[in-house]
Amino acid sequence: MLRRLIARLTQRGSPSDAEIERELRDHLELDAESLAASGRAAPSNARSAARRRFGNVSGARESVRDVWRWAWLEQLEQDVRHGVRAMLRSPVYSLAVVATLAMGVGASTTTYTIGRAIHTPFPQLPQDRLLWITYGNAGCGVDCTQLSPAGFAALQQRARSITAIGTYNVGTALRDPSGSEPVRGFAVSPETWTVIGARFAAGHGFPKDAGFEGGPHFVVLSYDFWQRRFDASPGAIDSVITLGEQPYTVVGVLARDLVFPTAADVYMPHRTTAAEAADHASRYLNVFARLAHGATIQQAAAEVRTINAQLVRESPKTDSGWVMRARPIAAYHTDDLATLESISDIAALLVFLAACMSAANLALARLSARRQELALRAALGVRRWRLARHLLTEALLLSLAAGALGAVLARWGVRSMRDAIPANFAAFVPGWARMGIDPHVLAFALGAAVLAMLAFALLPVARATRVDLAAVLAEGGRSSAGGGGGVHGTRMRATLIVLEVSIALVLLTAATLFARSVRNMTRGDAGVRLDHALVMDLTLPPRGSDSSRVDFFRRLDANLRDVPGIRAAGVGTTTPLSNNFSGTAFDIPGRAPQPDGRPLSGIGQHVTPGYLEATGVAIEQGRGIDERDVSGTQRVIVINRYMADALWPHTSAIGRVVKIGDSTWTIVGVASNVHHGGLDEEMRYTLYRSVYQAPRDFGVLAAWTSADPDSMRGVVRGVVARTDPSVAVGNMMTMEAMQARHVSPYTMMAGMMSVLAIVTIAIAAVGLYGLIAYGVAQRTREIGIRVALGAGRRDILANVGAGALRLTAIGIAIGVIGAAMFARLLTSMLYRVSASDPRTYVAVSLGLLVVALAAAWVPSWRAARVDPTVALRE
Amino acid sequence: MPRPDQRLELLQGTLDMLILKTLLFGPAHGHGIATSIRQATGDALVVEHGSLYPALHRLQRDGFIGARWERAPDRNRELKYYRLTAAGRRQLAHQESRWNELVRAIGRIMTPVPET
Repeated sequence: MLRRLIARLTQRGSPSDAEIERELRDHLELDAESLAASGRAAPSNARSAARRRFGNVSGARESVRDVWRWAWLEQLEQDVRHGVRAMLRSPVYSLAVVATLAMGVGASTTTYTIGRAIHTPFPQLPQDRLLWITYGNAGCGVDCTQLSPAGFAALQQRARSITAIGTYNVGTALRDPSGSEPVRGFAVSPETWTVIGARFAAGHGFPKDAGFEGGPHFVVLSYDFWQRRFDASPGAIDSVITLGEQPYTVVGVLARDLVFPTAADVYMPHRTTAAEAADHASRYLNVFARLAHGATIQQAAAEVRTINAQLVRESPKTDSGWVMRARPIAAYHTDDLATLESISDIAALLVFLAACMSAANLALARLSARRQELALRAALGVRRWRLARHLLTEALLLSLAAGALGAVLARWGVRSMRDAIPANFAAFVPGWARMGIDPHVLAFALGAAVLAMLAFALLPVARATRVDLAAVLAEGGRSSAGGGGGVHGTRMRATLIVLEVSIALVLLTAATLFARSVRNMTRGDAGVRLDHALVMDLTLPPRGSDSSRVDFFRRLDANLRDVPGIRAAGVGTTTPLSNNFSGTAFDIPGRAPQPDGRPLSGIGQHVTPGYLEATGVAIEQGRGIDERDVSGTQRVIVINRYMADALWPHTSAIGRVVKIGDSTWTIVGVASNVHHGGLDEEMRYTLYRSVYQAPRDFGVLAAWTSADPDSMRGVVRGVVARTDPSVAVGNMMTMEAMQARHVSPYTMMAGMMSVLAIVTIAIAAVGLYGLIAYGVAQRTREIGIRVALGAGRRDILANVGAGALRLTAIGIAIGVIGAAMFARLLTSMLYRVSASDPRTYVAVSLGLLVVALAAAWVPSWRAARVDPTVALRE
Repeated sequence: MPRPDQRLELLQGTLDMLILKTLLFGPAHGHGIATSIRQATGDALVVEHGSLYPALHRLQRDGFIGARWERAPDRNRELKYYRLTAAGRRQLAHQESRWNELVRAIGRIMTPVPET
């Protein structure tokens, strides 16, 4: 049968035109011969006589050709028409199958597409040849910091298996006559573009002499920045733009979607100077490398280890205990997201399985209903092959309809996921912004759905056409035990229901755990003011002096104080919850060194007096930073509660001394704890100093407003511009939005899981309903007898309900085990809720049980109302 | 040879049956099949070439007959020979019994047997 199907589909055996031609010519020749032989034509004109008799040769050839040409299409058309009729005959079944499969294809394609976007962070680069060099130690983690210029220079000069490049973040501002706009920039080694294999949308990389101190300034733009600021004009190349206060010549625009190492606007060349190369202490370089031709990542890793050991010998004071490691570049983005990726992959698979099972279940149910029809048709002489083809076409039509609808759903799903993600997350998942449906994934899901449907379409063929016709026909629709394939089918359907319930439980558990994380997070105390608070980045001209900066901060403070609608405002180094902070190493005189030899380190905040009040940080002990703390007076410092409790657990920290670099700072106050990283990160030591005593050239401005913070945006921007027009204001946002940035990945996961869980629960509930209803229909006679023999409605209800309960219970039991395994994967993504939280499991199980019982209630109730006189007469 | 208007028209589908029946006696090429049908019916049935070849190809497509280019015994060249397949044999049996039924049914009307 299969061979014939293939032969048909490929039109194997179809003769070529030449072959047909030859056959017909042979005929003519033979005809001519026989005409001549029988004497009915003279040999000389036998040929033309034969041709006359034959008639139109090309007409005959065409009709032979048509036999082959249209056969396939004609039968297909017939089958399709038959299939469509069959679909329309049972619209509920068709709708249920299409909806179920479409949801499965849509949900799993969406989820899997997200996984793929996460998995391919550098779609434009040769990811398999690029490495990321991590730096860290046993205590803080393998990649807790960046390399020192000395470490980078060592890699650049000594490593043979790799070519290393370094980058570091540069916040600067683009100036034009209309004002200043902050831009995200990276200083990169001049040879970066060749090393990473970057392509350019316009122009080229840095010239050979770029990056020397005092030399001309060059800049490469990102594609997005080029589009946004230069309208993608080719004229941007070779034009001169002002960044900070320096003119830069634009030499190139990176290819679209090329993100390196995170989303940025501009790239400036930086060459590590000899003086820098001696610096082992500052760690600020993100180092990447390309494997030399023929080198393996193992060789590179070994060489990096060797160089690391040399560095430790050369500068033990700064480098001992620290480890460099070579890792694939994808790890730069995907380390934290690998879990997310596997979670979404597994969820996608589960939903897809549930959808296929459900479709199978429906197909099996329909088989029961159609056995008579099929048997009848077989008895009437419809060939089995023909019957199979009808069923296959029907299944194919259903799954194609489902696939089309699923593709639409997936398109919508991917779009809404893409828009749901906040900008900060998108910056770390470079593929996110342009995430689209991966055609391979969709094709795979579609193919799998079609195959699943075909498999379950063939099941009835194998069964229905082989069953004893007489038995099936005699049985009528009233079989009490579901003879023939019935028992088998029912058991299979029950198994599928059990599995669907367990998958629903797994997804519902995951959704609940994420939802609880979100709730814990939004309810949790971040330690800062979230409402009526506005924060923004300030970028000061880089060439200014310390005194000019101090002067700017003081005038800004004064100007903001008089603005109606602002309760308090101040400048700091980093915004709470921004996850954008730098460590300040410090020392406590007289304290024994850390057991691991690392220096103490905390978050350094350089603030103006109004900052702590503006962000809602409370002074719990001593005093805050105030107007007295200026250059020339005693250097003072305020530390957070966490630091005070950790370092001076038994005494007061006030009056103690902290050494930062070469200067000593006296602790005058203890402030309440604030999360500077994510809400889900652990607390860190925090050191607040006065910006007047420790000036910085960049900072953040925080304002506590009495009016709606959004309405104050323009006012605050105006005050900054009035104070100094060369200062750029960027990333202005409310603290609520800042918090949402942390919560949104969790909200996203919770939302995604909830949708998947609801889809699966709906699928399982429909399946359970169908199974029980079918069972009741089949048992109508039996129930009638029971009622006639005196069974009460309650007994019948219990009898039927018990079956549903049993299936659900088994499903829940399996599901709980599966959920526990799945939840272990989630652990790192949960916030203040345990992956094995018993309350969640109990609640989810009960919830699912209620849904299942509700689904089983309707058919059970119908069973209980069976009228014995009617049921028995039927 | 009867005049054209004395020839019989083939009933729809009957040509297929005749081809299959002809092939029951062994493989033959198209011309051979046409010739033997003509000769067997004493020139009453002349199969038009325009219908013979499409019928042959339809039967081949449906798997009832197979085709192969083979050397003809009496000449030094290959001709396309058709042969009956197993499915073709079954199909022939099926069509034959239907044909017989049809003939009997029509016969009962045309020449009723008097009841005894």
